[in-house]
Amino acid sequence: MGLDYTIFIDYGPKILEGFRLTLIIVICAIFLGLPMGVLLAIGRMSSKLYFRGPSVVVLEVIRNTPFMIQIFLLYYVLPFYGVRLPAMLVGILALALFSSVYYAEIIRAGIAAVPRGQSESARAIGMSHSQSLRNVVFPQMWSIVLPPIANQTLSSVKESSILATITVSEMTMSALAVQGITFRPFEVFIMITLLYWLLNESIAFGVRHLEKYLQTRRGHRATTERTAVEVESSLEAARRMTR
Amino acid sequence: MNAGHATISIRGIEKSFGEITALRGVDLDVGRGEVVCVIGPSGCGKSTLLRVINWLQPPDAGRVYIDGEQVGETVDANGKVRSRPEREINAVRARVGMLFQDFNVWSNMSALENVVRPQVVVLQRTRVEAEAIALTLLERVGLADQVNQWPDSLSGGQLQRVAIARALAMDPIVMLLDEPTSSLDPELVGEVLAVLQELATGGMTMIVVTHELGFAKNVANRIIFMDEGRIVEDGPPEQILRAPKTERLKQFLDMLVHV
Repeated sequence: MGLDYTIFIDYGPKILEGFRLTLIIVICAIFLGLPMGVLLAIGRMSSKLYFRGPSVVVLEVIRNTPFMIQIFLLYYVLPFYGVRLPAMLVGILALALFSSVYYAEIIRAGIAAVPRGQSESARAIGMSHSQSLRNVVFPQMWSIVLPPIANQTLSSVKESSILATITVSEMTMSALAVQGITFRPFEVFIMITLLYWLLNESIAFGVRHLEKYLQTRRGHRATTERTAVEVESSLEAARRMTR
Repeated sequence: MNAGHATISIRGIEKSFGEITALRGVDLDVGRGEVVCVIGPSGCGKSTLLRVINWLQPPDAGRVYIDGEQVGETVDANGKVRSRPEREINAVRARVGMLFQDFNVWSNMSALENVVRPQVVVLQRTRVEAEAIALTLLERVGLADQVNQWPDSLSGGQLQRVAIARALAMDPIVMLLDEPTSSLDPELVGEVLAVLQELATGGMTMIVVTHELGFAKNVANRIIFMDEGRIVEDGPPEQILRAPKTERLKQFLDMLVHV
């Protein structure tokens, strides 16, 4: 069976329309998920139970249940309680929440990887906990957590295809639709494979440059790279255990 | 010149970490402008004592007073001891300078920014004002030509001097020094001790945990010998170093001299 090139031309625009939605979903999910991840990480490390408790519950529940079940719950079960949200919005929120718990674990490990003396001297000079995080810990943490954050973001891009199951017309959904019309799965899935690949390669490319920029701006430090690798490998191990 | 002007009173401090007891009832008074060196074997609780004074490690029991005001806790009208709000604890820490063995100069900012940032963040000084103060102090510790360097390109001695400038910028009323020269290469110890000596002569109240007996002898008004969480001997340098009263101090000094 040879390739039918007319499908690329006839249905390419429809797939690209889906690609556009995927892009919007992913971007929104990252920009919502990262701050949520920071909050969850801080909550998780808080000594106050009313911060730590809810954070731990969210982290454990989201991390230990399948993404597909989470979106089913949000999309099919919430309407019974009067909360009826458009599929697109549910998709963005679910993906942001899903990503945020992994971001939170990465950020927690990143905070722990900043030498204790750095925050101790900040507290000793009179900074509050949040001032020491903002002025000393976070700036040192970003270059450490960037590679694992990027990894998780690539994962989130791929997970976004599951939103097809709740009728969000993102790229996978549009591919399924085109496939239903044309009965040509090969051409269709080749197209979206290339587009997912292109999207993730672009993210990885951007992050590599951001990483270089962060390193030159703060002066190159050999220890930063080693710590980054350590953090990433321990996170990988943790993920293997929980998935 | 920052004239040191504080008295410190420590009463009945006890502190344990799980099974390990670090401090077993420590009482200590340090007068205005006094320089007190604390010596003792590792694990005797001397570093913990410093961290209790600025409440970095709240003690299990006991009280700390700086200029008569209780640190970390307060007694309410009913005689009940309450923790002070974090804001008040931070305000005390801002006036208590602390130096660490590992310098702990922030690696995400230049030497200058290390001295400027806490003034802006904690004391709400304007950047212009903070920079002027920082530059003066960096010059005073001999780093006028290094102000734009990042910590990873400074030597240990330079880092500790940045830390000194950073602490001085907060106009401390007392300085706590936790083995300030222990992780320095021998040839760099001198430059740091010289700055500290100048501070001491300037009248700064200081509590210095140190293994530098020479520094202790030259600069301290008093030396305190601690062992197993207690103050074992307390006296002027000549007496402590030349005529130790207890067998334990004798052994400790012998060990330092012979190593």
